[in-house]
Amino acid sequence: MTVAFAFLTGMTLVSALGVVLSRSVVHSALFMSGAFLGVAGFFVMLNVPVLAAFQVLIYVGAVTVVILFGIMFTQRPQVRRFRTIINRQIWPGFFAAAGVGAFLCYILATEGWGETGPGNGARSVAVLGRSLLGVDEGLEIFSLLFEAASVLLLVALVAAIAISRRKEGAGGEEAGR
Amino acid sequence: MQQLVEQLNAQIPLEGYLTVAAIMFAIGAWGALIRRNAVVVFMCVELMINAVNLTLVAFADFLPGAGGAGAGYTVLIIAIAAAEVAVGLAIVLAIFRTRRTVNIDEVDSLRG
Repeated sequence: MTVAFAFLTGMTLVSALGVVLSRSVVHSALFMSGAFLGVAGFFVMLNVPVLAAFQVLIYVGAVTVVILFGIMFTQRPQVRRFRTIINRQIWPGFFAAAGVGAFLCYILATEGWGETGPGNGARSVAVLGRSLLGVDEGLEIFSLLFEAASVLLLVALVAAIAISRRKEGAGGEEAGR
Repeated sequence: MQQLVEQLNAQIPLEGYLTVAAIMFAIGAWGALIRRNAVVVFMCVELMINAVNLTLVAFADFLPGAGGAGAGYTVLIIAIAAAEVAVGLAIVLAIFRTRRTVNIDEVDSLRG
């Protein structure tokens, strides 16, 4: 457990730093999928392999590909100088983020969580599916949330198509590229 | 030797997962604050969302009173984050088409 935890921690945090500090946007996207894989490993360690599968399918598969498409459409892959990728707030931003991180670590580590032990969560697909559909006692709210999420996905799909669609009569901007 | 093996097999406490998630959240927040490229800002927001997911799943697994609700919330968050990426990248594409840039320092036409 300790070895796996240390390995996943290193993988996740190094990849997250790579997203922020890498000079090529494509490398940032690949580092991001590495961080997502690390989180999927954490999900396996936390007894929810279903979520690890979701994580790999949706984040490592779909979101990374969509973001790579976005990079492909908006810029040529090139390595830029460090000054040009970062705005002038690097140190104020660092101190703000470090403050937030230190505050969160302090609160989360010193709060008394009472009786804790691993293995309380939904281990199997069936249990997780029942709780997602709001069948379980005390988790009825999930039936509403599930419906709302499905409507949201439909709306977001239509919105993405509507926003990114090429307008009629606006085809001339390709000449400027 | 026996002690070392036992130590290596020990369960990770809840605080370990929470600390990793907090550090990951801070890294994502740093990136969202300092990067110029809008697509990279999206990636950093995704990192922050993932850190929150990790916290929720850790709580769902470790707290007996939670009833495993955190895993369900995580599924919903993953769906919402996927929708957010689709709409966000569509907006970035639309901005790129009209302004020829994805540099968020230069997209300031809403500034008063």
